[in-house]
Amino acid sequence: MKFRSKMIDVGCLNPFTRVVNTIAKLNKTCVLRLTPDNLYFVLSGKVSNGGVSMWCELLQVNFFDEYQIEGVSPDANEICLELAPENISRALKTAQNAKSVKIKLTKKHCPCLTLAAELPSLSSVSRVVTHDIPVDVIPRRMWHDFKEPSMPDFDVSVYLPHLKLMKNIVDRMKNLSNYLVIEANLSGEMNLKIETDLVAVTTHFKDLGNPPWDIVHKRIVHLILLHEDVSLQYFIPAVA
Amino acid sequence: MKCAIEGSNVKAFGKAVHALSRIGEDLWLDPLEKGLALRAVNSAHSAYACFLFSPLFFQLYSLHPGTQSPGTPIKCKLAMKSVLPLFRCLATIERNVDRCEISISTEESRVICQFYCRHGITKTHNLSYQESEALQAVFPTNLCPNVLKAQAKLLGDIVRHFPASQEEITLAVSPVRVILKNYYEEESDRAKVMYTEMSLHPDEFDYFQVGVDSHITFCLKELRGLLSFAESHSLPVCVHFGSSGKPVSFSLDDMPLTATVVLATLDEDASAPPSQTAPSQIGPVHRCVGAPSVPTSPRGTLECGGGEKEPEEENLHVAPQGGPVPGEERVLSSQASPVFSPALYLRKLLELPKPPPPPSSPPQEQRVAATPNMEAEEACAWHLPMAPPLTHAQTTLIEDMETEPVCAAPKMAASSMPVTPPTAKVRALLFGALCEQNPDASPSALPSLACASDTEDDTADDRGQTRTTEE
Repeated sequence: MKFRSKMIDVGCLNPFTRVVNTIAKLNKTCVLRLTPDNLYFVLSGKVSNGGVSMWCELLQVNFFDEYQIEGVSPDANEICLELAPENISRALKTAQNAKSVKIKLTKKHCPCLTLAAELPSLSSVSRVVTHDIPVDVIPRRMWHDFKEPSMPDFDVSVYLPHLKLMKNIVDRMKNLSNYLVIEANLSGEMNLKIETDLVAVTTHFKDLGNPPWDIVHKRIVHLILLHEDVSLQYFIPAVA
Repeated sequence: MKCAIEGSNVKAFGKAVHALSRIGEDLWLDPLEKGLALRAVNSAHSAYACFLFSPLFFQLYSLHPGTQSPGTPIKCKLAMKSVLPLFRCLATIERNVDRCEISISTEESRVICQFYCRHGITKTHNLSYQESEALQAVFPTNLCPNVLKAQAKLLGDIVRHFPASQEEITLAVSPVRVILKNYYEEESDRAKVMYTEMSLHPDEFDYFQVGVDSHITFCLKELRGLLSFAESHSLPVCVHFGSSGKPVSFSLDDMPLTATVVLATLDEDASAPPSQTAPSQIGPVHRCVGAPSVPTSPRGTLECGGGEKEPEEENLHVAPQGGPVPGEERVLSSQASPVFSPALYLRKLLELPKPPPPPSSPPQEQRVAATPNMEAEEACAWHLPMAPPLTHAQTTLIEDMETEPVCAAPKMAASSMPVTPPTAKVRALLFGALCEQNPDASPSALPSLACASDTEDDTADDRGQTRTTEE
């Protein structure tokens, strides 16, 4: 199992860092799946148990200038690692203005993902910062847990309103209650509601388009974020 | 003692207090002829910091203000908890405070700290102090084989790569590379922690001298205070160190003030964790100045931190309770202190139980009592000079020591992972002569803040010794 990659364009580093930071906020551990074409960050809280799950797909060509992978076996050319996204996030934070970043799989005291950043320095020889992030290799028999989730049949789907707006609203609602009720219909309307003993707050959104595919299901809220290089899918199980 | 600080210097003073607060729980105030020394030491006696403000720093600095009778100025110790809040909010101080006056009043047994603020507001704080002998560590920096001098910004950048919670880091130097990496001791954590290593070229340093390839592990947390002070004043920091086990000193020198932090380093030679290089030879360690030979003087000059000897330290630094260990060498000095051989005590160390938590510091009066604990402290890293003035014999010893290799503190084996909990990790501190000459010291060798605690020593030291501190 081998993995070597190099990122030279610092411009790519930023979005990569942001993705990792987001994931780090969601959960303490996540699974990183490496294939020849993509990187996947998978959070697999079991949906049936009420855990949040997330699937994030990145096209490696958009980030890395060099990318070599030799998977577990020729027919399963993938590597699955379990790690703490916070470590990567921390490592990337220090490599923000690096000239280049190399990520590779190594074995030191335990299997590690080594991130080596070359930083600009005062002298001719640049500084090298190396971070060894311990990882657990996930054996092949468990890979089925981390497959791309299929789209279940949905009832309703809406395009979400401007995310900043939603964030503001949800942030304020967060202070009042732990649970949020989402209602949406096929006419492009969505409500975000919280109800507590003292107060009920509802925010109505109108004129949201309905995409051809479904986003909201009766039991699971499936949020899809599509960005140019990244697609992130987020599943939140409903409480009721 | 009475002094007055004007304007922006109050903020610098406050920053110094902040830096010292990261080290220890008490602040030692030591008014000297050459300035006001603020010192702190941590409970394990493995870190020491001293900020020396020369009279130029103050608008007014008087050791014996009018009412006080001339004599030895009071040296005292204040609880950091009572001093730090005064300087807690530096931004407010910068905005509001015009002047700060600090005076030590023996009649009322208080340190009076007055802030003259804008709008005619005067804030007066009365802090009670504990009289104490001055705290000092002597560290002859000119005898360190390795010297680095770096801009504070460089060090700040380096340190930024390590998480804020990182306790200890290892600095490894060779003539071609300087490497800093984080250090974790507990075996259990090894698999889970993220290792960070940073490698720099010697060119990045203002001054780089590596006499002996070494790697030292020291506590980063305690250093951060000094680094942030240096960064705020954009001062270069000098690092003096030797091989592992010997202390490392970080110092900075701005005209009116000098600051030093001396940290003990892990003695890796005996512990040899897997990530370390092959252990080097542990040479014989010479006992420090002022430590009489074990059998002859039960009490000796072993005050440690004003009597706050921690039992954990006592356990670690086991000294022969009875006569000298057979076969020990003696330091060629007038006192013929035994040469400390760590290997001898390694066995004892391995047998030690987990040390109890440190007790609260006993009152000053008990410091001088000759107890078996004190004897054990002979081997401890921390020294305080005696309360009475140095005898002639000891003064001679000081002069003798100049010609001798610097003594390093007794090194205790850092091994016995299963026995020693992380907090009781073995450290070593360096003791040297009370004064040293720097005739042709390296350009960055800062004068040691070695100074005797009382005026007699000052004058003794001034005899024929260059006191570069007074530059």
